Amino acid sequence: MSNNSVENFEPKILVFACNWCTYAGADLAGTSRLQYPPNVRVLRVPCSCRVNPQFVIRAFQRGIDGVLVAGCHPGDCHYTTGNYYTRRRFLLITRMMEYMGIDPKRFHTRWISGAEGPKFQQVVTEMIEEVKAIGPNDKLRDDMKVEVKAVETNE
Amino acid sequence: MSDIQSEMRATAKQLLESGEATVVIGWEKGTMPYNSTPVMIRSAADVDKLIWDEYCQQNLSTYLIDFIYTEDKVAIFAKGCDTRAYNRLIQDKRISADKCIVIGVPCSGMKSAKAAAKLPEGAEVPMSKACKECRYPNPVVFDRKIGQDVTPWCTEKDFSDVEAIEAMDQDAKAAFWKEQYTKCIRCYACRNICPACNCTNCIFDQSASGWQSKDINASENQFYGVTRAFHVAGRCIECGQCEMVCPSDVPIMLMNKKFIKDIDTLFGAYEAGLETEGPVPLSHYEVSDPEEFM
Repeated sequence: MSNNSVENFEPKILVFACNWCTYAGADLAGTSRLQYPPNVRVLRVPCSCRVNPQFVIRAFQRGIDGVLVAGCHPGDCHYTTGNYYTRRRFLLITRMMEYMGIDPKRFHTRWISGAEGPKFQQVVTEMIEEVKAIGPNDKLRDDMKVEVKAVETNE
Repeated sequence: MSDIQSEMRATAKQLLESGEATVVIGWEKGTMPYNSTPVMIRSAADVDKLIWDEYCQQNLSTYLIDFIYTEDKVAIFAKGCDTRAYNRLIQDKRISADKCIVIGVPCSGMKSAKAAAKLPEGAEVPMSKACKECRYPNPVVFDRKIGQDVTPWCTEKDFSDVEAIEAMDQDAKAAFWKEQYTKCIRCYACRNICPACNCTNCIFDQSASGWQSKDINASENQFYGVTRAFHVAGRCIECGQCEMVCPSDVPIMLMNKKFIKDIDTLFGAYEAGLETEGPVPLSHYEVSDPEEFM
């Protein structure tokens, strides 16, 4: 895959976007015609606290180069307190991922509200540039499984 | 030690004969001189099986979960770490204090069975690593107590091993953990022995959910390691059972201690299992928690 050579490397970034704020923010970025690179895959979740740390590890295992978890600002959660739990969990898991050898540039948590289309654009653009500079993720990768999956889909 | 042992047997006998308890959980001598294994005694005639020696490291509180659906009244011998595990299980509402009689036994540190297995007979066996770092050798909760309290030999948490890893660069960290988790055979002994690992439905038993395949490789094993460490974060009482039972010598406590260290620095000092009330780090939040995600 040409995608794996460092010079034409196009990172795959997975964004877990909370339904109430960040997803609306990403939508606003779109309707406002704000350009950002097409390397992001946005995955909508009911609340940022729906994002289990296992999702993040799984994403890295299956070949994602960077993960962004984004939700409402503290105090703005649609479910009142969800993002406070997100904050506790992800303060810990960010440090754990770094401890496991994942570059901290690959994994971010950010608060992006429904009005912050430009912030969404800025955060993902910066993240894509940073990940592009450090190259594809080879830590925690489960390459064997990726190949097996590819064979299955060809059938 | 033999005084404590005879008192343990007498207490167990009295509890079983009087009907105060229907089962007593303690330790018996295992197949090797350096093995002391858990035993569940139901008859006063069997109390002589009970022993107390320098290899009674196994945390017995885990076994209380086996009795949650029975009518038994369970008496359990408990060192400092067992009582902390007991408290943490009560706090998680996994067991009910009404069904348990805790017989506290102050402990002066257990020897490492793993080290003993490698040493020639009669050699001086070192204390196990978890016991060396133990800050609560005396039972923190008990209904009865056998023996005299000992003076704790450690007062501060020792994170020097965690800090040594934190000081490595990213590639060295990844290489270190990959090497460690390549050894792992995912026998799940660490999960089975762990008093903090007490979910009714363990994610790792649900292979159909697709979370974890049955492949044994560094990536899947690390997924297991991190996930398990996260599930016991805020619950781990540092008894070191996971490392004690690991057949591949994976430094599991390095992972658990990382979470303990971060919880302490981010959310304030916390000791799991000292109380049965009060906030638990990961089921609680403060509006004033550190903010890094702006």
